[in-house]
Amino acid sequence: MRTYGGEYTLELPREKVWEFMTDPHRVGPCIPDLLELKVESENRFNARVKVGVGPVRGKFDLTCELSVIEPGVVMALPIKGGGMGSGVEMNVEVRLTDVENGTLLKWQCDAVISGPIASLGGRLIDGEARKIIQKVFANFQKALLAAAAEAEAAVADAAAPEEG
Amino acid sequence: MALQQTELRPMGKSIGRKEDPRLIRGKGRYIDDIMLPNMLYMCVLRSPYAHARIRRIDASAALAAPGVKLVITGEDLAGMNLAWMPTMAGDTQMVLATGKVLFQYQEVAAVVAETRAQAEDALQLIEVDYEPLPVVVDPFKALEPDAPILREDKEKKSNHIFHWEAGDREQTEALFRDAPVIVKQDVRFPRVHPSPLEPCGCVADYNSATGRLTFYVTSQAPHAHRTVLAMVSGLPEHQIHVISPDVGGGFGNKVPVYPGYVCAIVASLKLGVPVKWIETRTENITSTNFARDYHMTAEIAAREDGRVLALRVKTVADHGAFDAAADPSKFPAGLFSIVTGSYDFRSAFVEVDGVYTNKAPGGVAYRCSFRVTEASYLIERVMDVLARRLQMDPAELRLRNFIRKDQFPYHSPTGWVYDSGDYEKTLNLALQRIGYAELRKEQAEKRARGEFMGIGISTFTEIVGAGPGHTFDIMGIKMFDSAQIRVHPTGKVIARLGVRHQGQGHETTFAQIIAEELGLSADDVLIEEGDTDTAPYGLGTYASRSTPTAGGAAALCGRRIREKARKIAAHLLEVGEDDVIWDGLAFTVKGLPGRSVSMKDVAFAAYTNVPEGMEPGLEATYYYDPPNLTFPNGAYIAVVDIDKGTGAVKVRRFMAVDDCGNVINPMIVEGQVHGGLTEGFAIAFMQDIPYDADGNCLAPNWMDYLVPTSLDTPHWETDRTVTPSPHHPIGAKGVGESPNVGSPAAFVNAVVDALSPLGVEHIDMPIFPWKVWSILREHGIDE
Repeated sequence: MRTYGGEYTLELPREKVWEFMTDPHRVGPCIPDLLELKVESENRFNARVKVGVGPVRGKFDLTCELSVIEPGVVMALPIKGGGMGSGVEMNVEVRLTDVENGTLLKWQCDAVISGPIASLGGRLIDGEARKIIQKVFANFQKALLAAAAEAEAAVADAAAPEEG
Repeated sequence: MALQQTELRPMGKSIGRKEDPRLIRGKGRYIDDIMLPNMLYMCVLRSPYAHARIRRIDASAALAAPGVKLVITGEDLAGMNLAWMPTMAGDTQMVLATGKVLFQYQEVAAVVAETRAQAEDALQLIEVDYEPLPVVVDPFKALEPDAPILREDKEKKSNHIFHWEAGDREQTEALFRDAPVIVKQDVRFPRVHPSPLEPCGCVADYNSATGRLTFYVTSQAPHAHRTVLAMVSGLPEHQIHVISPDVGGGFGNKVPVYPGYVCAIVASLKLGVPVKWIETRTENITSTNFARDYHMTAEIAAREDGRVLALRVKTVADHGAFDAAADPSKFPAGLFSIVTGSYDFRSAFVEVDGVYTNKAPGGVAYRCSFRVTEASYLIERVMDVLARRLQMDPAELRLRNFIRKDQFPYHSPTGWVYDSGDYEKTLNLALQRIGYAELRKEQAEKRARGEFMGIGISTFTEIVGAGPGHTFDIMGIKMFDSAQIRVHPTGKVIARLGVRHQGQGHETTFAQIIAEELGLSADDVLIEEGDTDTAPYGLGTYASRSTPTAGGAAALCGRRIREKARKIAAHLLEVGEDDVIWDGLAFTVKGLPGRSVSMKDVAFAAYTNVPEGMEPGLEATYYYDPPNLTFPNGAYIAVVDIDKGTGAVKVRRFMAVDDCGNVINPMIVEGQVHGGLTEGFAIAFMQDIPYDADGNCLAPNWMDYLVPTSLDTPHWETDRTVTPSPHHPIGAKGVGESPNVGSPAAFVNAVVDALSPLGVEHIDMPIFPWKVWSILREHGIDE
């Protein structure tokens, strides 16, 4: 098992971040190299993504299921799936805390990777994972800020969102 | 320089290899060169998990894919009672997974299609629902009481496979109690892979009209494979024709029966057409038999003057998911009990525990006679630890403890009888050839300047020629070997043997033995192997057994022909049989040097003019069951320099002196030594198959599992001493394993010697530059 983790400060109120990240329609598209997104229910969605680690390249089918552990604060996102004879199982947990200038998002991901993607791409996997996670949060932040800007624009006389 | 083959009395001469014109011009015929009409291609689906329950397999989409003719799963095989097969070590192994998978890349299903690409594409369409289970990769953790039980099919609810002992525990303990000096060292021999250039593969061709199965396979032991296939498949043995064509390297990897073979046979039986299965490189490394993976602890009890008294060894052997090790059934840890090596220990006690883990199964004798490589590496490492403790020169320590030449036949404390040897002579030759005294002087000067130079010595005794039927068998089949010689009217010979070479040069060496016995040239003799329809029954080529067993059979078979030839010669010379002498080239008459007939004359007469009442023809078969194994030995010395900036180890010189008894073809022996040393070098410095905690194999290809190129490989210096085996018909001992058995310790001893000023006592293989660099860094040496 590999564990990844990190934190980001988002200059937005906690409720806004929570609302965004518990909505599959809005979180789903943040997945990098997304080929297809199918939202099954308000907490379950399937994603087909393009994957390439070293010599292993192909498509993964992932099933993600949102679950609220502590409303407004902690959310879990188990992700399961695989492809090309490889499997992946991730357990993502996200925790939100109020901080002075917005919301602190702390995340941790326990990942079990199996098959050729783990063995053939073994040496490259941590670097690749970091890259993907960075992209996820970059997309997440962009989408969140865009959504916030839209919302505020709708309320009119909005202030331009600050760069995060 | 290679000599012409036409030379008479060819024994001991460097005759050019008969097989080379074919092999080096690309005219060899390997498994993948075999193309049969209507042939289909098979690919194998493998598990991504190291340990998981299989809830469901859905092959419907794969079956509907273009070109697909058949999908086989474990359940299909279970219906034919073929889901499990016996291993050589007496365990059982899944052919295709049923219920659960036990290692990553385990065989789960097979797809047969019109093209290989279609079969591979269809693999992706098979849906397998896995439920991952806790994974055990560490053999020590596998032995803990709360470890998950891997083999639920076994009655014994534990991951412990066997406990095996050799030697005298009480006597050893007593010697340890009173010993003035005791040294102890933990040593790991990593999991390595034989990695033959040609991976494993087969073409199964079942003819439903004749009921005959022709099975082309990369096999080191075609006869044994035919017998095992008959036992597994239920097809009668005479209806199975095993053909092992040219084989691109074996190194032990092509001794076992693999699931792919069984699946290809099942597919051909079901479809009635030939089915080909060829492994990929990754499949070869991840699922066919590995070698070594021994965790060893050795202790030596000695006197202050360096004389060794007793040896105590504890070992945990990681066998992977199935106990598929290639060991004779009487010896679950193979010949590891030769761990006292070349030294005269008064007593020894050796224990080995075999353990199941979630890794690929195996444990083959990769250029090693059933675990001798581990044993030899261990004793040679620990002897150096003892030398360091006593501040004694490692060469001096060895010379003090060698079994002396007048002690042969020598009874070892673990029960072996060494046939012959002169260890002092061999080591002294190596020391002299490399200029040992000057090298030590140079080392002292370099040390004074803060440079790291090391000299490593390894002196080893091998145990090869797996053969005596009273001690050795594979799955109950006694390990003799055989030869059949037919001399045709013009004096040309076709000889067939029960062994099967994979590049060792049998077509030349056996021709030399037979030509020598019959007074012919090696040109006159054609050697055929690997076809069970024509060759006499034999146990195959591995563990350096071909020359000691089949070589003995060939010589004795030649002598059997000479017995008949002498009768015919007497008839031609018109003298009594007792008056006929064989002078090595022809039959002559005692006291009448001018009158002689050659084997060619006799051969013609055998079909045209035999004495009255004699059966015509000139041929014989010989099954040779050797009285004992043979014990080649050697002394290897490595000289290394370490780059302080990068930790890279440069092997500056390597001197190998081997004693393999009488030599048939010096050039071929030298080639064997060069190849084995290169493999030993790779093991010491480059190779390991690591697994992560989830059981993912982290070196499943030649990007991660390194194979040395000509640029990496040091220059080898070789020499030889000769102590013939007293019990072998031509005094030969075998050499193929020796360089791989003896060299890893020489390399590691040299690196440890180089770093000894820093207090380093041991470094586990493979000695990657980063390991050395880290040690240098720890001591503040960083250029």
